[in-house]
Amino acid sequence: MPAVSLIDASRIITESCVQSGAEVFVGYPITPTNLVYSYSFERFPVALPAPDEITTLQWMSGFSSVGKFPVTATSFPGYALMLESINMAFMMELPMLIILSQRLGPSTGSATTGAQGDLLLLRSSISGGFPIPVFCPSSFEDAWFLTHKAIETSFKLRCPVVLLTSKEMVMTNKSFDTGELVPLKKLYWTAPDEMEKYQSYYTNGKMVPDFIPLGNNQHQVRINASTHDYTGLIRKTTPAAMQNTKRLYEKVIQQAKDFTFYEFQDSDKHDILLVSYDITAEAVRESFNLLHAKQKNVSYLIVKTLIPVANEISEIVSSFQKVFIIEENLTGLLAELYFGNNIPKNIFRINKIGEMINPQEIVEEILN
Amino acid sequence: MLNTQSLPYCPGCGHRIANQNLDKAILQRQIKSLDIIVVSDIGCCGLIDGVVDCHTIHGLHGRSCALAIGVALGLNDETKHVIAIQGDGGATIGLQHLLEAARRNVNMTLIVLNNLVYGMTGGQISGLSAERFKAERVPEEKDVPFFDLVKLSYSAGAAFSARVVGKGKYEEVINEAIATKGFSMVEIVGLCTPYGLTKMKELGELGYEEIILKNERNCFESKRIEKVSLFEKVSKIESQFQIHLEKPYKIVLAGSAGEGIQSAADILAKTAMRCGLNATKKGEYPITVGTGFSIGEIIWSENPILYSGIEKPDLVIITSQDGYAMMKGRYPEIECIMIDSSISNELVSPKIITGDYRRLAGGKGATMCAIADWLRKEKIVPIDALIKCVSTLKYKEEIMKAITLV
Repeated sequence: MPAVSLIDASRIITESCVQSGAEVFVGYPITPTNLVYSYSFERFPVALPAPDEITTLQWMSGFSSVGKFPVTATSFPGYALMLESINMAFMMELPMLIILSQRLGPSTGSATTGAQGDLLLLRSSISGGFPIPVFCPSSFEDAWFLTHKAIETSFKLRCPVVLLTSKEMVMTNKSFDTGELVPLKKLYWTAPDEMEKYQSYYTNGKMVPDFIPLGNNQHQVRINASTHDYTGLIRKTTPAAMQNTKRLYEKVIQQAKDFTFYEFQDSDKHDILLVSYDITAEAVRESFNLLHAKQKNVSYLIVKTLIPVANEISEIVSSFQKVFIIEENLTGLLAELYFGNNIPKNIFRINKIGEMINPQEIVEEILN
Repeated sequence: MLNTQSLPYCPGCGHRIANQNLDKAILQRQIKSLDIIVVSDIGCCGLIDGVVDCHTIHGLHGRSCALAIGVALGLNDETKHVIAIQGDGGATIGLQHLLEAARRNVNMTLIVLNNLVYGMTGGQISGLSAERFKAERVPEEKDVPFFDLVKLSYSAGAAFSARVVGKGKYEEVINEAIATKGFSMVEIVGLCTPYGLTKMKELGELGYEEIILKNERNCFESKRIEKVSLFEKVSKIESQFQIHLEKPYKIVLAGSAGEGIQSAADILAKTAMRCGLNATKKGEYPITVGTGFSIGEIIWSENPILYSGIEKPDLVIITSQDGYAMMKGRYPEIECIMIDSSISNELVSPKIITGDYRRLAGGKGATMCAIADWLRKEKIVPIDALIKCVSTLKYKEEIMKAITLV
């Protein structure tokens, strides 16, 4: 057996950020992302303690506007404070990564108790229903690779991206061989081809405009959080401004297939499907083994790109006769994301709050 | 800097004069347009970004100062001039940002255009409105003083803090602010002809003091420091002992915060790793750090551990009343309980071992003492694996003492 370390996913996520090209960490410590905060000060080339979460997002946006990729880590109370500024960064088309570790709510709830309660908040973070990509690791390997993919997607889409985790996912230690992790490529902005004139949000037929940093010596850059057209200047509802606003939705949706990740263990017989994400995926994988040991044929789907919901996810879910959606929350937020308030009769929810859902509970639900 | 003389402000507006003075100051300093980044936000003051030929970034109400801090620290370039502009409403929303910029002495300039009112929403008073001005409009507020931004900025550490009452010519003050290395703040008290004051004379009677205050300080820079990989900072554990586990072994440590429960759980996980096993370690505790219970859950397994929770422990070690209280009713079945003799136990298990762990090793050593007692009795893994693990610790003496007491 190779030499292994006892480590947590916070360490892996932080290391992945820096190896993927993130240069700046800005944050305000909050449980349960305090480990990411601490590690970030040990690792990032630039790390700044902000006095609050609004300031955090503003400083990050400033860094991002000059071409430095920023990262922060928070949980619901901090994310709530960041919300308006995340909308700003979305509108300005500034890439950044927000690591959100879920804990038991509502409100400050119980900071040291895990939960999966923030999914619908994330889906509705942007006024107007615009999606921000949400990635969700369900293992240490995911913590490494998905963090990289989240940053890559943020660059490609010029869009803030969320890495959704939860208390046990980022704080539980495991024996792990970091030597097994795939090498990562450092990501950075590439200068666009020489151009006579640059207009900050002109896309030239593409979905995402070229990026030139604020403060450069060649072209004037105009970045704007208010409704604007390709010039970056405030406009009301002119056709060009509305076209630009719609593009912010389309650029994410149209490219969703490129950044949709999931783990699908298909048993061939499309009878029963277990669906989950984040920490609950651990219990689903074990319950899958337990059920197969009892000759019960089930499949599972661990969703790793939660937002936007790609067609292939919907197709997998709809191809099963019975679907169990398993989440550590009261009412089933992923089920609501997929089906709204009218949950079809073949969709069953397994939910719990205040403690982890264990594999035996899933097995019992399936067998009953 | 201004690309037009046709400025988008109401006739007589103080913002127009402020824009012109800013433009003159930049001309005097011969700063190239692309060396200027104007950071604006919501309010009439934010209209500036449409009439300048420099870089612009237009953000949220009250946040231009914070956004400018990010831009300035990101650029970290003395040849670039980051100029944030906000109104009196924005200044109170973002007062924290002004104080933070001053405290750090970030290399940037903040210009606050104080026209006494919220112009875009109908002329409501602001936190910078003078008492005499408020008395006529909102008498309940007449005794509430305005925020003295200059004194706040100065006392928070800004290199340059100034107020001008917006008459015609004050470009020298702006010029000096821009030339300052560090954080400079200029509050410009001006007219708002539709909603505020319309006459310069009235403006001069409100008690705003024209003042310049300076601090001699180094400015804050966001220095880039290359650091080593986080993976290099954790120890790699080689398998040195061979053992066989028929099934995963699940251990719960229950004690009090501050008594080394999480450290003991860490040691137990690493002990298993020295025996070639997979291990997980999960902690549970209240948000308080030094009081209340502390629980560590450890799983050992020959196979990869998919699920890190414990529903049916093989062993529960309880070394304090806090830990005992958390164990009551928590598990339907426990294979073995080791419990300190000071605790009156009502928990049921086929095997209960009682020891004087707290008396022998004190609160901080009790759990490690119990672990050593258990390993010597049950021999699930060699005690030498535990000793080897403890021997690598930085503060090993006390722990080593605790594990040799029984």
